[in-house]
Amino acid sequence: MRLTAFACALAIALAGCARREAGGSAGPTGGTLVIVATGDADVLFPPSGAVTTSADVAGLVFSRLADLTFDLNTVDDAGFTPQLARSWEHADSTTLVFHLDPRARWHDGAPVRAADVAFTFDVYRDTLVDSRFRPNLDAIDSVTVRDSLTAVFHFRRWYPEELYDATYHMKVLPRHLLDTIPRARLASSAFARAPVGSGPFRFVRWEAGATIEVAADTANFLGRPKLDRVIWRIVPDLGSAVGALVAGEGDAIEVIPPAELRARVRATPALRLVPFAANAVAYVAFNLTGRGGKGVHPIFGDRDVRRALAMGIDRATLVRSLFGAEGEVPVGATARAQWIWSDSIRQLPYDTAAARRLLEARGWRPGPGGVRWKGGLPLRFTLLYPTTSRIRQDAAVLLQAQLKPLGVDLRLQPLEFTLFEQRSVRKDFDATFQARTLDASPASVLQLFGSEGVRQSNYGSYRSAAFDSLTRRAIAAPTRDAARPLWREALGALNDDAPAVFLLSPPMAAAVHRRFAGVRIRPDEWLAGVAAWFVPPGDRLPRDR
Amino acid sequence: MLTYLLRRLALALATTAAVVIITFALVHLAPGEPFLAGAEGRFVPPETVARLRERFGLDRPLAVQFVRYAGNLASGDFGESFARHRPVAEVLAEALPNTLLLGGAALVLSLLLGIGLGMAQAARAGTWADAALGTVALACYSVPSFWLGLMLLLVFGEWLHWLPVTGMADVALRAPVGALHHALDVGRHLVLPALTLALVNGAAVARFHRAAMIEALDADFVRAARSRGLGEGRVLVRHALRSALAPAITLAGLSIPALLTGSVLVESVFGWPGLGRVAYEAIFARDYNVITAVAVVAGVLVALGNLLADLGVAAADPRVRRA
Repeated sequence: MRLTAFACALAIALAGCARREAGGSAGPTGGTLVIVATGDADVLFPPSGAVTTSADVAGLVFSRLADLTFDLNTVDDAGFTPQLARSWEHADSTTLVFHLDPRARWHDGAPVRAADVAFTFDVYRDTLVDSRFRPNLDAIDSVTVRDSLTAVFHFRRWYPEELYDATYHMKVLPRHLLDTIPRARLASSAFARAPVGSGPFRFVRWEAGATIEVAADTANFLGRPKLDRVIWRIVPDLGSAVGALVAGEGDAIEVIPPAELRARVRATPALRLVPFAANAVAYVAFNLTGRGGKGVHPIFGDRDVRRALAMGIDRATLVRSLFGAEGEVPVGATARAQWIWSDSIRQLPYDTAAARRLLEARGWRPGPGGVRWKGGLPLRFTLLYPTTSRIRQDAAVLLQAQLKPLGVDLRLQPLEFTLFEQRSVRKDFDATFQARTLDASPASVLQLFGSEGVRQSNYGSYRSAAFDSLTRRAIAAPTRDAARPLWREALGALNDDAPAVFLLSPPMAAAVHRRFAGVRIRPDEWLAGVAAWFVPPGDRLPRDR
Repeated sequence: MLTYLLRRLALALATTAAVVIITFALVHLAPGEPFLAGAEGRFVPPETVARLRERFGLDRPLAVQFVRYAGNLASGDFGESFARHRPVAEVLAEALPNTLLLGGAALVLSLLLGIGLGMAQAARAGTWADAALGTVALACYSVPSFWLGLMLLLVFGEWLHWLPVTGMADVALRAPVGALHHALDVGRHLVLPALTLALVNGAAVARFHRAAMIEALDADFVRAARSRGLGEGRVLVRHALRSALAPAITLAGLSIPALLTGSVLVESVFGWPGLGRVAYEAIFARDYNVITAVAVVAGVLVALGNLLADLGVAAADPRVRRA
C-alpha cells in the first residue's frame, strides 16, 4: 500500500515537473498597483512576519522552491509549479530531492544555492527565531546539501503532503546576507526592514505606518512581472480605506466583509469586486470540559444537548441576514477553498421540533421565563466574542434570538481581542465564537478538533477516537480521489458529534480597479498571481506611466 | 520670574513621573497577553509565549520590571517594541514629527477659527447671529472627531474630489520630486485631518473667547476708545482683542492634550502616520513599551504646553508672576 502510494506520487511528481510556469509572460508591461491595506507590516523577514501585510509583501519579494497552483491541490505533486526548484523527485518514501534552477539569483546578484535552502530550514526551525511556521515543519528531520544546486529534504515518515510541507511554509532566505546575524536578532535586523529576496519584485522602500513599495525585478529568471510597481498605502480604518479606493487613491483591497462597504465599491464605476472561494470559517465552539479544561461541562458534556443546539440554529437565515446572498453556510470544519469541500458531507438539519424532543429526552424541561432547567441547572451559557469583529457581534445577537424559543438563555460577552484569545486558550469559557483562516491543507483540522489539538487550537477539548482515526486515514490517502470519501466521512462524524456549530463563511471578494487585466485571486494568498496582472496601455493613469 | 519658572518646571517633571508610573502599572496590570495579540486568530504555542515573555523580562515581578524600565528610561532607552521588533525610540522618532505637524497645524487653525468666531459672536452678542454661530460651535464641539473626519472625507474626498483623503503624501509619486512639490503635496494631505481636529478644538476656543471679548468690550478703556470716535472694527481688533487674548493663550496650552487624544482616532481615519496611530495600534497589540513611551512623550508635551501657556500668561500679567 505504502509503496504503491509512493510510486503513484513519484509518477505525478515527474508529470508535474514537466510543466513550467513563469512568474510573468509576454504581453504589455507597466502599471502601478496601489493596494490599500488596513495594517502596516511588522517585519519583512518571512519567518517572523505575523501580520497580513508582512506576508503579502514577503510573498512578492521572496520565492519558494515550488508553489501551489490556483486549485490549492496540496496532495498531488502535480498541484505545484516550480519556482526556485526547476524539478524535484522522491528518492525514496522519506527523501525529497530538489534541483535548483541555476539561473535563479538574489536581487543583489548572488546566485541562489542549495546552501540557502538548508540555511532557511535551519532558521525556520530555530527556537531563537520562534517562527510561527515552525510546527508545520515538524515532519521534516533535516535538509542537506548534495551539491550547490541540489537540496535534499529528509522526512521522519512518509505522507502525501511531503512536497507541500517542504515548499509552502518557507520562503527561501539568502544565507550570504544573514548567517552572520545572531538568530535572536534576525527579526530586528536591518535586513528585516529592507529585505533582499529572489521573488518577482524587489524591495524599494518602507515608510513606517505610511507606505511600502516594491518594483518589478526586470531580470528575474522566471521572467519579469508585468506591473512596474506594487505600493501598499496603509489606512487602518476600513471605512476610510474604502473611501481611499472610491476617491481613486488606491487600486485594490484584499477583502471587504461589511455589506454596506461592498455596496460603496459596487456604486463606483471604476471599481469591481473579484470574488474568490472562501478560506475562512466562523464557528461557535462548545467547551466540553469544565472551566480551565478540567472535568465535564454540565451542559456541553452531553452530546445530545450539543446536537439539539446545532439543530436549533437556522444557519441559512443567519448568513442571509448578515451577508445577503453572498455569504455561505459551511458544510463543516472546512471552507470552499479547500479541495475537500463537498456538498454531500453529512450535516445536522435545522429542525427545531427535533431539537426540542432531544432536549426533553435529556431531561431539560421548560421553566420560569421559558428557560429550560434540569436538576436545578438552567440551560444558560455565555458566548465569548471579540469586539473587533462586527460580523461575529451581529451573528451572536442573531444566535441569541434563534436559541431563545428553544428555551436556551444565551448570554453574550464581548471581549477585547487579546482577552478573548487568552480566555479561549485557557479554556475559560462556555462557548467561544472563533473565526479561522484555514490552511490550504485540510490536515490542519486536526489542530482544531483532533485529540492532539487539545493543547493547541482545540479550545473546546473535543476528543473522538473515531474522528481522529478517520482524519488520519484521510490525510494518509495517496491521492485526492482516494482521500475525498474519507474526508467526507471524517467531517460528517465531526458534525454528528457537534463539538461546534459551523455558522458562516464570509463572502470573499477583492475590490480591484477596472483598468487591471489578468486578475486572478488565489484564496490562500490573494497576490499569488499578481505577476500576471497588467494595465492595457490605453487604460493607464498618470501613476502607471 | 526665575522662581516661578523653576516651580513650574518641577511641577512638569512630577507630572511626567506620575504619568510613567500610572501608565506602566495600568498597562501591565490590564488583562490580555501581548504575544497573542499579533497572532490574528492563529494559535501561538504556550511555550512560545513563555519564551517571549522571558526574553522581554515579563516573567519577572512587576516591581522588578518597573525598576528596570525606569533605569533604562533615565538613560533614554524606551526598550524594544514587541510587535514591531524595533527600538521604541525609532518608532517614536518616525511618528512624532508627523503628529507635531498635524497638531501644530490644527492648533493654529483652531485658534484662528475660535478667535474669529468668538469675536464675531461677541460683536453681535444677544442677536440671532450670535445664537446661530453658538449653535454651530456647540455642534462642532459635540460631534465625535472620528465621525466628523469621516464626513469630511466623504464630502471633500469621495464626492467632490477636492482633497486627498488618506496618508500624508501621494505614495505613487515617482521619486525624486522637488521640495516645493513635496511641501504642497503634504499640505494638501494635511487639510482634512487638521480641519477635523481644528473644528472640534476651535469650537471650544470660540466659547471661551466670546466670553472674554464680551467682558473686554464692556471695559472702560474700550468705552474710552469708542468715545474717541474709533470705528467698531478698530475697537474690536486693536483694543478688545488684545485684552481678551490671555484666556486664548491659556486655552492654547490646555488644547494640547485634547489635540493629542483627538489625533489617536483622527490619524487612524486619515491614515496619518503619527503618534496617535502608533498608540492606537500599540494598545490593541498590548505593546507595553510603546504604550508607555507614547504616554511619556504625550505627558512631556502636555506639561511643556502648560508650562509655555503659564509663562505666556505670566509674561502678559505681572499679577500672576507675583502669585
